[in-house]
Amino acid sequence: MNRFLRMSYLVAGVAGVAFFALSVLLLGVLPGRVLQQQGRKMSPEHPLMPTASELRGREIYGREGCAYCHTQQVRYLESDLARFGAPTLAWETRWDYPHLWGTRRIGPDLARQHGTHSEDWHFMHLYAPRSVVADSVMPSYSYFFREAPDQPTQSARDLVAYLESLGRAREIAGPEGEARARAACNCADDEMAQMAFHAPVLNTNAAKARRTGKTPSLNASGNLPRGRELYQHNCASCHGSRGDGGGSGLHPPPANLAAHEYTLDRLSFVLENGVAGTSMPAWRDVRLNDRSAVAQAVRELHVSQPEPRIPPATLELGARVYRSNCAQCHGENGAGDGFAVPELRIVPANLRSVRPSLAESLRALRNGVDGTQMAPWIGRLNEAELSAVAYYVRTFYDGGAK
Amino acid sequence: MSAAAQPVERVESTLVYAHGLAAVLMLFVSVSFGIFASLELLAPDLSGGVSWLSWGRLRYDHTQGILFGWLGNAFLAFLYHAVPVLTGKPVTSARLGQWLFGLWNFVIVVPGWLLVLAGFSQPLEWAEFPLVIDGFVVLALLLWAIQFLPPFFARGLEDLYVSSWYVIGGLVFTLLAYPMGNFVPELVPGAQGAAFSGLWIHDAVGLFVTPLALAIIYYVIPAATRRPIYSHFLSMLGFWLLFFLYPLNGTHHYVFSVIPMSAQIGAITASALLGVDVILVVANLLLSLRGSGWFPRDLPLRFVGTGTVFYLLVSIQGSVQAQMAVNQAVHFSDWVIGHSHLAMLGFATFAAMGGIAHAWQRIPWASYNTTAMSWAYWLLFTGVVLMVIHLTIGGIVEARLWQSNAPWLDSVRAARPYWVMRSVSAIPITAGFIAFLLGLITGPKGAGLAEIEKTVGFHQIDEIAPRLVTS
Repeated sequence: MNRFLRMSYLVAGVAGVAFFALSVLLLGVLPGRVLQQQGRKMSPEHPLMPTASELRGREIYGREGCAYCHTQQVRYLESDLARFGAPTLAWETRWDYPHLWGTRRIGPDLARQHGTHSEDWHFMHLYAPRSVVADSVMPSYSYFFREAPDQPTQSARDLVAYLESLGRAREIAGPEGEARARAACNCADDEMAQMAFHAPVLNTNAAKARRTGKTPSLNASGNLPRGRELYQHNCASCHGSRGDGGGSGLHPPPANLAAHEYTLDRLSFVLENGVAGTSMPAWRDVRLNDRSAVAQAVRELHVSQPEPRIPPATLELGARVYRSNCAQCHGENGAGDGFAVPELRIVPANLRSVRPSLAESLRALRNGVDGTQMAPWIGRLNEAELSAVAYYVRTFYDGGAK
Repeated sequence: MSAAAQPVERVESTLVYAHGLAAVLMLFVSVSFGIFASLELLAPDLSGGVSWLSWGRLRYDHTQGILFGWLGNAFLAFLYHAVPVLTGKPVTSARLGQWLFGLWNFVIVVPGWLLVLAGFSQPLEWAEFPLVIDGFVVLALLLWAIQFLPPFFARGLEDLYVSSWYVIGGLVFTLLAYPMGNFVPELVPGAQGAAFSGLWIHDAVGLFVTPLALAIIYYVIPAATRRPIYSHFLSMLGFWLLFFLYPLNGTHHYVFSVIPMSAQIGAITASALLGVDVILVVANLLLSLRGSGWFPRDLPLRFVGTGTVFYLLVSIQGSVQAQMAVNQAVHFSDWVIGHSHLAMLGFATFAAMGGIAHAWQRIPWASYNTTAMSWAYWLLFTGVVLMVIHLTIGGIVEARLWQSNAPWLDSVRAARPYWVMRSVSAIPITAGFIAFLLGLITGPKGAGLAEIEKTVGFHQIDEIAPRLVTS
């Protein structure tokens, strides 16, 4: 044996190269062919191609090493399904030269990024990550901006366009696309392969609005110290540590929690669903006890002011102005259900469950709310009308009474 | 010192010296990238929004620097010392050596670093230098083969010592594997390209770093102990199993992905078998070290001995973490970062340092400082253990949080204390590197030879020892 090993160097050399070729064949070429076929057959017939801007964004994503903290590969595992959504299929990666799967997750997986964050939020997050995500360790990419988060260069726009495209093709393919992929997969007896099609939702990202119709009731006696801690960890970066809004550049700006009163049900709804059209994500993955605790911490932030007595004549004027100018969006009874609501990108404030302070109410009327359809009314209403309606809208609040 | 004992001044000595020093200097640069990147995880605004200081670019330069700048130069230094001894013939050309030195350092590593910092790179693991550099790497690897392989063929391939097998295998297969990780994923999209990328991720370690580090260990042990290796048969069995199994591991980087399950299972099985093979290899090496004690007086021997133990640990760990039950939890976490540091900083760096120091002792005009070397050993040992233990625990903590429904940022917050300890471990590690450099450039000239004389009396016998063991 010894002698054979020493003498047969020619055999050995051939064997060595053969080992290597075998590995390339078994782990590269053959799986590659299967993946290529899958990519062709399981893909929708006419998938949306990435745009030039998205492809440029991809280059930037690659050269900045984004893939070394963010994977783009949802694995066939329950924990990945729960956190991110349906496992990544081969065809979803067919535009990736080279692939950007990654092998490390410091930040979350981004394969299902599409439709989860507003463009605003992305710009803020790239410019100053910790202004929107407390304790994030992401580097600042302020070099993609001129001087402020609302002055992105083309690079920032390309990068955000790319991020926004991740997972889009699969989402657009819809149930028909899934059915086609499942048929092409022909893997009814392969339990693991089936996981790709049996995920409860394609994208579980909490920022994805997902109205379930029912909102759990929160406990009015949540654990306040726990709530304060959770608030500081998860909310304070946008809403400010005292709730009065940070210096955030989001449009619409984060709600000023110090200047508003909220019913428990309203807080529950927002935590369950997020606020569609804004940067407020849903927190439905947070346990109910913790959500109750956060709700207590949020209600605690409200700074109450002395309530002046309003002469009935003023309220009458306010009611008149409200009916002719505000009710079409905010609803006759202030429930945010006016007839124009379906036209709006962001649902108007439900004044029955949110009460602005007098100053906040006046401010919103005068200046409007940036990034929403709430227009500035200064100039269209005179001062008396403005203050009358500012008083009036505060009377809708029912404090959570059923 | 009798005339017969006078060391033979060889043409390669200058190249050993040049590559050895370049290796250590580039090690400092590579480690600086790593330390700065680790600090950015603790203080993310440290980069100040400067593009070339941003984490991603430093991370690319850290690992490419370690692979090419540090280990590449260290292996070259060792080869210039060992190949003439193993073959009894000089390397192909000293002039070629100068060209290769310039090409490797000033056309590949330094421009590669600068290009990455300037934003030209490719997002592929162990392949982050941009494509234009990859072309020169292939050329350089070809020159490695031209420089070092002909002496083996010139003396005839019979009775090759196991180190020679590892050198030949390492050079040939790196040349074959390199394009697969660097070019194929640029041509083949997504998941399909990832299958090839996975192969290279493992081959960079398995077909370049491991064979050359093992060549050093197999060389230094008999040369320094002046005893043959325990079993030449085990050496050769280990070699062939390693070259059979290592390339088959690649897909274990993408377990639970869309890559066909048969390939995943194959790679996971090969990973388990590889652990068995490494037990075989390490048993042979440790049996060869019998009688030298845990911490031999001869420092190069001590470095390679400890590197051998790290090799065992990291390989067993690798076999375990490739298994699905473990992989599903710890994959993507700091556990893996700990694993790669145990491999590159524990196993490969200890072997490379042993190789450089061993060659250095035998350059008659080179300085050598035993005290500094001993400091280097203990500081590095402390640093590696500190870092790997904390990253491993941190990885488990992250994995548990990921499996719960805790918000993502909780896992980042929980990792922080472990990241602090990782950065703290940089202190003994950097101090160890400084001590190693001092070990090479301070102390009296020829002190290495004097040290050998003192411990064994006669220095030339150890130069031919590796060849004696084959008979």
